[in-house]
Amino acid sequence: MIGVLKSMAVTMKHALKGETFTVEYPDVPPEVSPRFRGIHKFSQERCIWCRQCENVCPNDTIHIVTDDKRQGEQYNLHVGQCVYCRLCEEVCPVDAIILTQNFEFTGETKDDLVYNKEQLKSVPWYNELDPLAAREPDRGSWVGEGEDAVDYQ
Amino acid sequence: MLQAVLQTDTVLLPERLVDLLRLGEFGVVGEFIAGLIAAFLVANIMLIMTAIAGPWAKRKIRARFTDAIAVNRVGPAGLLIIIADAVRLMSKEIIVPEGVDRPAWELAPIVVALSALLGFAVIPMGSGIHVADPEVGVVFVFAVASLASIGLVMGGYASNNKFSMLGGLRAVAQNIAYEIPLVLVAASVVIFAGSLQMSEIVAAQQDTLISLGVVDIPMWFAIINPFAFVLFLAANMAEIGRNPFDTPEAPNEIVAGYQTEYSGIYFVLFYLGEFIHIFLGGAIIATLFLGGPAGPGPESLGFVWFLVKIWAVFLLTQWMRSAVPRVRIDQLIEIGWKGLLVLSFLNLILTALIVGVITV
Amino acid sequence: MSTLEEPEVEPDGLDIDAVHERLGDRVLDTEEHINAPGIIIRADEVEETLTILRDEFDFDYLACVSAEELPDRYETIYHLKQFADPTRELSIVVPTDRDRPISQSAAHVYETANWHEREAYDLIGIEYDGHPNLKRILLPDSWTGHPLTDDYNQDKPQVVSYKAHENPLLEHTKEDDGETMLINIGPHHPATHGVLHLKATLDGESVVDVEPDIGYLHRCEEQMCEQGTYRHQIMPYPDRWDYASAGIINEWAYARAAEDLADIEVPEYAQILRTMGAELCRMAAHFLALGTFVLDVYGEFNALSMYAIRDREKVQKLLEDLTGQRIMFNYLRLGGVAWDIPEPREQFFDDTRQFINEDLPESMDEVHDLLTDNEIFQLRCVDIGVLPPKQAKQYAATGPVARASGIDMDLRRDDPYGYYPELDWEVVTDDGCDIFSRVMVRVREVEESAKIVDQCIDLLEEWPEDEREIQANVPRTLKPDPDTRVYRAVEGAKGELGIYIRADGTDTPGRFKIRSPAYCNLSTLPVMAEGDFVADLIASLGSIDIILGEVDR
Repeated sequence: MIGVLKSMAVTMKHALKGETFTVEYPDVPPEVSPRFRGIHKFSQERCIWCRQCENVCPNDTIHIVTDDKRQGEQYNLHVGQCVYCRLCEEVCPVDAIILTQNFEFTGETKDDLVYNKEQLKSVPWYNELDPLAAREPDRGSWVGEGEDAVDYQ
Repeated sequence: MLQAVLQTDTVLLPERLVDLLRLGEFGVVGEFIAGLIAAFLVANIMLIMTAIAGPWAKRKIRARFTDAIAVNRVGPAGLLIIIADAVRLMSKEIIVPEGVDRPAWELAPIVVALSALLGFAVIPMGSGIHVADPEVGVVFVFAVASLASIGLVMGGYASNNKFSMLGGLRAVAQNIAYEIPLVLVAASVVIFAGSLQMSEIVAAQQDTLISLGVVDIPMWFAIINPFAFVLFLAANMAEIGRNPFDTPEAPNEIVAGYQTEYSGIYFVLFYLGEFIHIFLGGAIIATLFLGGPAGPGPESLGFVWFLVKIWAVFLLTQWMRSAVPRVRIDQLIEIGWKGLLVLSFLNLILTALIVGVITV
Repeated sequence: MSTLEEPEVEPDGLDIDAVHERLGDRVLDTEEHINAPGIIIRADEVEETLTILRDEFDFDYLACVSAEELPDRYETIYHLKQFADPTRELSIVVPTDRDRPISQSAAHVYETANWHEREAYDLIGIEYDGHPNLKRILLPDSWTGHPLTDDYNQDKPQVVSYKAHENPLLEHTKEDDGETMLINIGPHHPATHGVLHLKATLDGESVVDVEPDIGYLHRCEEQMCEQGTYRHQIMPYPDRWDYASAGIINEWAYARAAEDLADIEVPEYAQILRTMGAELCRMAAHFLALGTFVLDVYGEFNALSMYAIRDREKVQKLLEDLTGQRIMFNYLRLGGVAWDIPEPREQFFDDTRQFINEDLPESMDEVHDLLTDNEIFQLRCVDIGVLPPKQAKQYAATGPVARASGIDMDLRRDDPYGYYPELDWEVVTDDGCDIFSRVMVRVREVEESAKIVDQCIDLLEEWPEDEREIQANVPRTLKPDPDTRVYRAVEGAKGELGIYIRADGTDTPGRFKIRSPAYCNLSTLPVMAEGDFVADLIASLGSIDIILGEVDR
């Protein structure tokens, strides 16, 4: 019986203390680490259309269409099937694709989750966190794109 | 002294209603109507308490014990979840599985809910709320409360589901094993009080046992005989099927036991029955051991004290749930037959001896 | 694979010559695998050969059975080890004819071969002669073809006729012998920790027979890895095998095998980071195991499961800071890791120390108050779900399940890798063999892991700034020599997580086989549960700590 009473004392102690650990999302935006990997952001100014990201992607999430002069025409990313491995960002020689901390995006069908170049460019930073700051390269052409914070409501 | 106590005449709720609504002129019919109204009132009080307990209080209490935040998004402190949940549960489809034993399957939830409600008829709740006061009140309340087992086994057997079957059988085995100790411990209280009538049992606990300066320790049977109180609490846990004795439901073992196949309003009835059962258990404990509606302050506050006691028992069940594992069915039966039964006989004999010595 | 000394294949006295001498004519040929010498034997002498090796050379541990299709033959490889010293390895290669792939079964020598051979039959199509129950294990019974063979048409739809799946219960409801009752626990059941189906035969409340039916979460992980390149594309997948926070350990299993295959050295600093990450993962995984286990025994309203999840959450926060994700880390790279400690480093060290030295001891005390000392918990767990050591070895149970049966094997110590040999920690064992000891082994392993993490933190903090090398120089494309084979394992959260890779000269593996610890541990469930009550079956299942993602792959 002593053990049972001890167990009950432990839970009662917690009840009286009343501490909670839950994040009251979406009222309170959760804190994410600077390294957190969310949805991608793309910079056309930087991209040199080397297609390394497309090649390294483990499950063909990235599709690049170039014209006959190897100039980029389309940059499509199927966010719905992305595994957020960050390999595309890792192999990119010019930081043209980067995983922001923004994890809040929805679509009603999986087609809605195929993002094209323009959609990828306008992905907002999460809480104005610039992942590049944590990953230390210069930010250059990122300035001025999608400055607005995420709207929770 | 005891004689004086026994002669306190309680005015029952139907009688007051007869006076209040001037139903006296209709004779028996008037009394019958008054009885119906009284029963309706009491039943509604219990249903309201269940409504608060089920969707809201239980979650809040559980959250408190587990460092979590429970229902807080619908209304102030999440209270409107009660309405939201009620609407949600009632609008759900009632799925009748293939091969169920129709009348039994449908009657089971009603039996469970009603049997627990019936018990409140004889409970003196203070502030004049007391529907009936038969001379065999204690016997009546245990008799109707154990009707629930029939409902459980009906539901378990009629569902045509093996998990339900196991749950129903477990429920019956458990209720039989724990009903006997429960009644035996209650019998020791009856020996103390010298009556089976609920009002007499309450009245017998009104005196002051010891006066410690400003604080008067009342003569509650829980204080006179704590051993019996603990035994009764344990047996009651099994009777209402809560940790550590919640084997008939045991969601991790047999899904949800007897209520596996129930959905929609039938499920609500089962759920309701379970909660009313917990409250009935609390009411019996309060009446037999904690002086019923007794408490400081004027007598009209009695009902408040009564509710406080019931909710304290409810809180205890939730507290146990947070910290105590569920015992296995065979261990449970063993504890019931070999442990509690023997102890409750011991308690009965001891009580009889002591009472005998005192009165002689 | 590391800059630390890697023990050679034959450290102290696996006398391969003696083995050859004893086996005599049974040895058709030999070959050299990276981890072990290989002996090629005839397909109809498997049982005999393995019995000799088990009884006379102490190869009591069949770590893995990997089967594969080669251009001219099918092959089954039995990866033998010794529980006493897992570095003594031997591969028994059994080639079979392409036209008639029939090979003798080893299920009578090692119980664990039963499930492994069923899997090989299911995916490759080798038939095992004398197997007690050769039927599909991962795929549905009505599946046609064997998906890991070359001529398997992946585009062909698998038409499952409705008739075949009319009502799986029908035949059981028909037979009415009145004595026993078949009850299907799962695939949707509150206590199966995922989509697991247990066919349990009950006599009253006690379990007469239980048969796990797996495969509901089969996601072709092996095949996906066979299609990814060694260098980058395989690494994200291991996170998804044991997805209950053990990601870095899983990645390490692949990294260890691939680094051995491609002969890559990992810098010492990266090894410390790996060790720390892996142990954080182990803690998180054990917290989850504890939390879900108490759900099975306490019921869904208990507080401890929430406390365990809270502690896991704290570990996950640390891992998120380190790796950028909470579960799917993708932190390891071949030859190193992806990130150094996040800046500001002191912050990370402080957070980790806060958790290890202050939060953890407190919550461990609570765990002991809530679990260890609780009489009703002891009533439920002591001497229940017993797995005797002999059976555990037969079924190749590893990890906490084996250690709770008194088998003193931990690959971190016995087959050292990473930075473990340099650190001060102990292997936790318990010879209770019951549910209680399995839970306690996990609880104490959390404490040992905390010790390791603490030491890693100290090392990382003092490491000279200019020597913080997190990544070795690895070529962009890896093409290991054709026909090199390696089986390498690490101590996962659930047990020995091994990877067998056969290189075929391209930049993707020719065969990628995952030896899943939870798969083997789950096969011990009948031993634990038979004769006990239903409630004990559930508790035993919880105490094995299975992750269906790893069981079904």
